[in-house]
Amino acid sequence: MLLDETEWRTLEAGLAQRSELLDEILTDVYGPRRLLTSGTLPPEVILGHPGFLRAADGVTLPGAHQLFLAAADVARNADGSWQVIADRTQAPSGMGYAMEDRRVLAEVLAGLYRKARIHRIGPFFHAMRLALVDAAPPSAGDSPRIALLTPGPHSETAFDQAYLSAMLGFPLVEGGDLVVDSGRLWMRSMDKLEPVDVLLRRVDAEYCDPLDLRGDSQLGVPGLLHTARQGGVSVVNTFGSGVLENSALLTFLPRICRELRGQELILSSAVTYWCGERSMCSHVMANLERLVIKPTARSRSGRSILGWTLTATERADLAARISAEPHAWVGQEPIEASTAPTVARTGLEARATVLRTYAVARPDGYQVMSGALARSATQSDAGLVSSSANAVAKDVWVLSSEPYALLDPWVQEGPAPTSITASISPRVAEDMYWFGRYAERAEATIRLLRAVGDRWDDFHSSGGTTGGQALDVVKAALADVTAPGALADLLCDTSRTGTVAFAIQRMIGVATAVRDQLSSDTWPSISAIERALGRERALHARSGSEAVPDRQTLARLLESLLSLQGMAAESMVRDVGWYLMDVGHRLERAQFLVDTLAATLTHQRSAAIDSLVLESVLIANESIITYRRRYQARANVQTVIDLLLIDARNPRSLVFQFDRLRADLEEVPAAGRTSARDRLIDDMRDLLSELDTAVIAAADDHGLRRRLVELLDSLGWRLRELDEEITRVHFVHPVPSQWLDSGIWGS
Amino acid sequence: MTQPQARARHYHLVHRTTYTYPEPVTQSYGRALLLPRTVGGQTCHWSELRTDPVASEIAEHRDFNGNRSSYFAVTDHHSVLEVVAESALTVNRRIPHVDRIPPVPWEQVAATTRALRSTGDSLHSDHAAAVVAVTDGALPSQLVGLHDAARAYADPIFRPGRPIGHVIRDLTESIYSDFTYRSGSTTVKTGLEEVFERRVGVCQDFAHVLIACARTMGLAARYVSGYIETHPPAGEPKLRGVDASHAWASVWVPHGGWVQTDPTNDQFVDNRYVLLGWGRDYRDVSPLRGIVFTEGSGSSLKVGVDLMEVDAEALADLRG
Repeated sequence: MLLDETEWRTLEAGLAQRSELLDEILTDVYGPRRLLTSGTLPPEVILGHPGFLRAADGVTLPGAHQLFLAAADVARNADGSWQVIADRTQAPSGMGYAMEDRRVLAEVLAGLYRKARIHRIGPFFHAMRLALVDAAPPSAGDSPRIALLTPGPHSETAFDQAYLSAMLGFPLVEGGDLVVDSGRLWMRSMDKLEPVDVLLRRVDAEYCDPLDLRGDSQLGVPGLLHTARQGGVSVVNTFGSGVLENSALLTFLPRICRELRGQELILSSAVTYWCGERSMCSHVMANLERLVIKPTARSRSGRSILGWTLTATERADLAARISAEPHAWVGQEPIEASTAPTVARTGLEARATVLRTYAVARPDGYQVMSGALARSATQSDAGLVSSSANAVAKDVWVLSSEPYALLDPWVQEGPAPTSITASISPRVAEDMYWFGRYAERAEATIRLLRAVGDRWDDFHSSGGTTGGQALDVVKAALADVTAPGALADLLCDTSRTGTVAFAIQRMIGVATAVRDQLSSDTWPSISAIERALGRERALHARSGSEAVPDRQTLARLLESLLSLQGMAAESMVRDVGWYLMDVGHRLERAQFLVDTLAATLTHQRSAAIDSLVLESVLIANESIITYRRRYQARANVQTVIDLLLIDARNPRSLVFQFDRLRADLEEVPAAGRTSARDRLIDDMRDLLSELDTAVIAAADDHGLRRRLVELLDSLGWRLRELDEEITRVHFVHPVPSQWLDSGIWGS
Repeated sequence: MTQPQARARHYHLVHRTTYTYPEPVTQSYGRALLLPRTVGGQTCHWSELRTDPVASEIAEHRDFNGNRSSYFAVTDHHSVLEVVAESALTVNRRIPHVDRIPPVPWEQVAATTRALRSTGDSLHSDHAAAVVAVTDGALPSQLVGLHDAARAYADPIFRPGRPIGHVIRDLTESIYSDFTYRSGSTTVKTGLEEVFERRVGVCQDFAHVLIACARTMGLAARYVSGYIETHPPAGEPKLRGVDASHAWASVWVPHGGWVQTDPTNDQFVDNRYVLLGWGRDYRDVSPLRGIVFTEGSGSSLKVGVDLMEVDAEALADLRG
């Protein structure tokens, strides 16, 4: 969607003025409350709104403004003027989407984007960064710590939150990662607490503190509100900012603007009648069939009631509900939002479009994002765009008459600021570890599946022959190491532990939870993995699960997984998160290797069968080329063990994993004693260094390689114990909390 | 109604709450409304909130209603937490009397209340200070909404044209005689509809019932948390810890202020009552609530309250 500069300037001035006005209202209603006692604003508009948090009374932010971030949903009327449909001040979402839309369009329409003079939205995020620093309590010094509070990866706007936090460069934290102590807010990192001075919240205020707000909330931090009141931390938007979302305010804004600022409102709102006022209420009642009816509080169901869609009975019910609590309802003239061309299945369609705009408080006023998130109706005949229901996102380009100029450079003169060490919480640490493990498990399973698939292609119709017997051995091994079942199911079935699909599903799950830790390039690879799996699933739904997995699918999956590993190796800073991810990789690789060898090499078979089996094992462990080069044509178990267990230069060998585990773990802070953890690794390293591979490879009279069985067995349980030890020492979870009412009820 | 006691009294108040947990607690955060405010007719000379183990942070502020709200955090590991609130006060309030309450019909009070909450404009300028409190008292709250049951119950009591003072007294008397007081009959989770249905409850329910009736009829009413002095049977000494938290209600009357009435004991509030604070309902002024971090679940609770009348000399000692 395109906007020219003249039109944008008017809208921008209107949004800035509106933000100032809302800020003044917010400051007043949690302060002197003159608006309520002077007859300017009916008291029940504010006091009867659930967004008004009495517990937040008297909490103030440092600086000139109490409203940190103001968003608005605006639409263009038939006459071309803009109108606000709703203000969004609780914890506005969508800025991450706006940035991502811009990035995608700049990529897809690269030529056009380069030629057009378009206002950049990047400066807005820079302004936001500065504003967050400004919001810090004076005690925080000149390098305040900032974090973004999220309800977690299951939030509807988790992507938006993670994108924003990564772009701003602040950690994404959940309530459980934080703790209040000694008058400050702290983030639990792996071995210590680190202060948080400013919390940008994406959790609704009511849920932010179970002590003083909703006691049943698991998303908040007890004592947070108190700490904010004492000035130990700044929470933005401030507690109780949601009261400004009250749709009844729209009725009174012009009057308040005249009284407080001596100005006319530049940007008008949708015409709104507040039912708490008798004459407006009668008007609404008489026009129910043509108005949009809304509760003043954004209802949980989120839907406005479109009067013209109601039956007579439904209208009567609604009228009764309004009469019972008139102050809690408004009627609104419907807005015919102007349309924007939207790409649809059959070509371009005109669809109603609403913009969400953003403004952030700066010392000298509000800075408005030069752009917005546009959302279009999903159907061409839908006149109204719901804020959440499946709207189509659009980028908004504000054309500039001037070439792009950097006004507020990121690079600043003066002494270098203190670098803030990026520490991570035990929750993020654990997710990074599992991200490594599941990624490795997916890769190893695919490799094994592919090696078995090769044997299947060669021998599945030749049961009883040497090849057929070798196939049976590797198939049995595959079932042992992963899960029993048809080959295709081992790829596609998400419901079974051990399958590729299962590992990938878990990997994506933890990646989503630590989105802010990963490069944004991660997601195209993950999408490619999801697409390939989806295609394969569809294929097998048609052909039945007898078939083997498609080689191309396996190749594509492997390629995407390897590109993830490439990013990890070349694009990620070696911080605690990276080391833990690598620990996960190494431990998983070691475990998978031990399991694979136990399932394939412990029994001596005929040389013909074993040569096929050994070859499969080497292929599955990515070591076949080295092996062939080193040992030429003369394969035997002893040399396979040499290469896969004790060759310290082979990145696929067991000893290589142990060396890396030891080195990685050195870099990870621990909350507890690490001696047991280190002893396990040293013991395993010792087992391998004392190894006589000739003895290990020797079979007894029954063809059993007893010493190899013992070795793999003792490595196997130590690896499992190591996992437990790492979990115990590094992923210390906060103690669960419970809410207590005094129970002084009943005297 | 019982006769009020007009003699001024000095009190020494100790409210001791003990939580015992099955597993160690690593951190405990608390919010207490246990320190009496100084307000017309009641002076708090000295007060203190303390915990064992000693809190790492303890702070007090005035809440939205001007009540004294305390925050504390205990960060030493513990399996027993004791919270003690202690104060010294003098109570000498103007005792409400039906004849002293402005003799306006209750409908007129409802009309004034209505005008205040929906416009903020007060016809009488001396109501300006009360606008926020009256609106808050008139609006439905979380525990006291607008109920058909309340309307049905209140309707015959709110006879047309009846003076507001009489309506408040009648309402108090009716609730006292129609509802049965039974300790332990309800919990904080029991809904008001159920209380109307079963006609049984504890003092918090009695207060909520009165507030619900007043709000439904268009008046502003609020919930008051505090204590009432009790006396042992004649000839027996008063035992320690026998007093208890109490709750009652108050109704706003233009030019008459907030009239405090106790439906549990069928009387207007006199000098035997010590007031902690007020709010829209129990939730706004629950005496003590908290969040604890522990692997265990549940806790056991012991509460002991002593409201002892003392003479001026003993009071002076307490004031230190």
